[in-house]
Amino acid sequence: MAVETRSQYREELERLEASALGGLDLVDAALGRTLEAIEHTDVELAQLVVADDDRIDGRYLEVHQALITLLATQSPVATDLRLISALLHVLKNIERMGDQCVNICKMIPLSGNEPPADEEMVRLILTMGKQTRTLLTQAQRAFSGRDVEMARDLVRQDDVVDNLNRECFRLALEIGDDADRREWAMTMLLAARAIERIGDNAVDIGEQVAYVVTGLFREFEDASHPGG
Amino acid sequence: MHNQNPTEATAMTEPNPEQQSRQEAGAPAPLAAAAEQPPAPRRDRDVGELELRGLRAFYGGNEAVKGIDLPFKANDVTAIIGPSGCGKSTMVRCINRMHEEIAGARAEGEVLLDGLDLYDSRIDIVAVRRAVGMVFQKPNPFPTMSVLDNVTAGLRLTGASRGEMDDRARQALVGAGLWEEVKNRLKSPGVGLSGGQQQRLCIARALAVEPEVLLMDEPCSALDPVATLKIEELIAELKQRVTIVIVTHNMQQAARVADTTVFMLDGELVEVGPTEKLFTTPDDDRTEQYVTGKFG
Amino acid sequence: MADGSHALLLDRGNLKRRNRVNRVVEIGSSIGAVIAVAVLVIVVGSVVLKGAGALSWHFLTTPSGLFGDTSGGMANALVGTLVIVAIAAAIAIPVGILVAIYTTEFASSRFAHPIGFVLDVLNGVPTIITGIFVYGLLVAGNKPSGFAGSVALAIVMLPIVARTAQEVLTLVPATLKEAAHALGIARWRTILRITVPTAAGGLITGSLLAVARAAGETAPLLLCNFIFAQGVLTDPGEGLASIPLFIFQSSESPSPEAHTQAWAAALVLIAFVLVLNVVARAFYARSRKRMGA
Repeated sequence: MAVETRSQYREELERLEASALGGLDLVDAALGRTLEAIEHTDVELAQLVVADDDRIDGRYLEVHQALITLLATQSPVATDLRLISALLHVLKNIERMGDQCVNICKMIPLSGNEPPADEEMVRLILTMGKQTRTLLTQAQRAFSGRDVEMARDLVRQDDVVDNLNRECFRLALEIGDDADRREWAMTMLLAARAIERIGDNAVDIGEQVAYVVTGLFREFEDASHPGG
Repeated sequence: MHNQNPTEATAMTEPNPEQQSRQEAGAPAPLAAAAEQPPAPRRDRDVGELELRGLRAFYGGNEAVKGIDLPFKANDVTAIIGPSGCGKSTMVRCINRMHEEIAGARAEGEVLLDGLDLYDSRIDIVAVRRAVGMVFQKPNPFPTMSVLDNVTAGLRLTGASRGEMDDRARQALVGAGLWEEVKNRLKSPGVGLSGGQQQRLCIARALAVEPEVLLMDEPCSALDPVATLKIEELIAELKQRVTIVIVTHNMQQAARVADTTVFMLDGELVEVGPTEKLFTTPDDDRTEQYVTGKFG
Repeated sequence: MADGSHALLLDRGNLKRRNRVNRVVEIGSSIGAVIAVAVLVIVVGSVVLKGAGALSWHFLTTPSGLFGDTSGGMANALVGTLVIVAIAAAIAIPVGILVAIYTTEFASSRFAHPIGFVLDVLNGVPTIITGIFVYGLLVAGNKPSGFAGSVALAIVMLPIVARTAQEVLTLVPATLKEAAHALGIARWRTILRITVPTAAGGLITGSLLAVARAAGETAPLLLCNFIFAQGVLTDPGEGLASIPLFIFQSSESPSPEAHTQAWAAALVLIAFVLVLNVVARAFYARSRKRMGA
């Protein structure tokens, strides 16, 4: 029965991983509220999301600092080192995802106090959002389970989001001549684009899973390498 | 310096160490009396290739090293890491045949230096130690000798002239990064230097006989951090002259100085590979466990 | 304080008793130390007091007169002792050191331990027996000679030299020998150039202590040498005078001047022994410092 070595270090590392992945829960909540704000043109809810982004940023700073401290004091190597590197990337992804939600929410008052102009577009965006939320959950599970296959599947899931984004674009093109409607459509496109970026960040998290497990860093799918 | 005299060089008596190393470097042709011409000496940078084949080491009936096959790249630094009692010091001491000095200890297998098996029965064991030098954990300069005499201790018995010896000593001290600090106190006692300086003195002493391989058995464990770093710098320079094998308990040190790292466990070789690979993506799970501190 | 939280720290009554016992033991051992020192002081003191009177340059440089004649001095005894001890040292010191080198460097422990034991036994052999042995070997059928005395003293000196040398050679750190071997220095050269010089201080110590012992041994000289010798003789082939026998002879004489001379000779001898002991200690301390002990 051997005495456990470096137990404090390992516990700390586990705690930091949980804390980082918990950031994805925060992003998921933010995205949920953002979608609701879009659906009901809820300006107050949108402002709440913007204010709440401080929590995501706070999480980022706190865990980032703790990881740097761990690097300085514990000289991690091998899997531990790869994990810390991956977590630093993941934190950045989470922070960016939070910012995308904020970007969307900042636009919501601009879509005017009238009801949305195009039901279908709104439906598309809400579907994109829902799908993206699935991506978030899957990315989180893939990371904590070190499941490379699940991580790779994120690409496929993200393709759905990408396709919906293209649909939105097509719809916007056909929205008609009305200036107000056109302005509204551009705003919605930007929102769709932001959601699509959230999806890409989730795929990036999947790539980090592969790095932790294999030590290799390869893009699953990239703007320059379509198809995965 | 000395001309190769065929008949002298092939005699069994204690020959000039330079000729001896050249002999070993030159050919598998043994150091026994032979009628054939010894091959021409070569002293190029590839000299210093070491390889262990089926090396086993015993303390009485206890097998401490259980069959190791391991090549060492010439002019590289190879670190041997592993938990206490894994056999790393024992293995290294087999390379310069110091292991068999211990009562009841013996070794089997082959240790090939440039293709020549150092355990061949015709080999002069004293000459082996000239070709393979060693630096120990605790600095051990000879207390009755001055700095200069310490460095030339290995040379004084070769019949070289005083001037030649002093020259070699100076080169060795420069090579060990100690010349500037001691050039004005060459006659002062060797033990009067600080710990780090004493260890560099021991390195100079080992270098003076111009070995091909330098074995270092935890050379920094008795030194303070600054002295340790100085010696690590030195190792990086020295590898151009000699092949270095360093045993260390300190994994960060292995990571800093070594090109290749070897992980041993219970007398066996578990994994060998480029240092950065062993410390970022080791193949063997046991290596992973050891370097991340899960045991040791 | 009385609330019991420090109850464990409070004295339960045996503190006073413990202190008393401590004091008693301390006083008792101090008295023992004082006695030991006092004995030496008394011995040396009486020798000095009683012998100083006869001590003079004339005394030291004039050979003794015939039996009963106290006008002479101890010159021949002095020279005789020096010659005998010198020859004994020349025999015992090299042999003793070589024996020590053998047991520490070459012998397996199977041989080394018995040899150590033999030396210890030899050390304990009463010197009168050594004297008889050498008498039978060299003197019987021959004549008493300084040389025979030297041989007997050498036998007495040998275990002292060898045992001290053994102790000091074992103290030479194994790392030094390892370093020498790792340099490719052959075994005998390591011993000669590194081990022995490192242990030199201790080797000298052993030799000096042996010499100090031999200078004062009486029994062997009684048997192997002349008690009565006239003139300053230096030829070891003949019987030589020696200080212990001079003391013996002078103390047997009825004349009080002769007794004083005996004390004076004793003073010379004890001074010699003390000086040698002090110098030996100094060398030993230096040797230990060298080896980092």
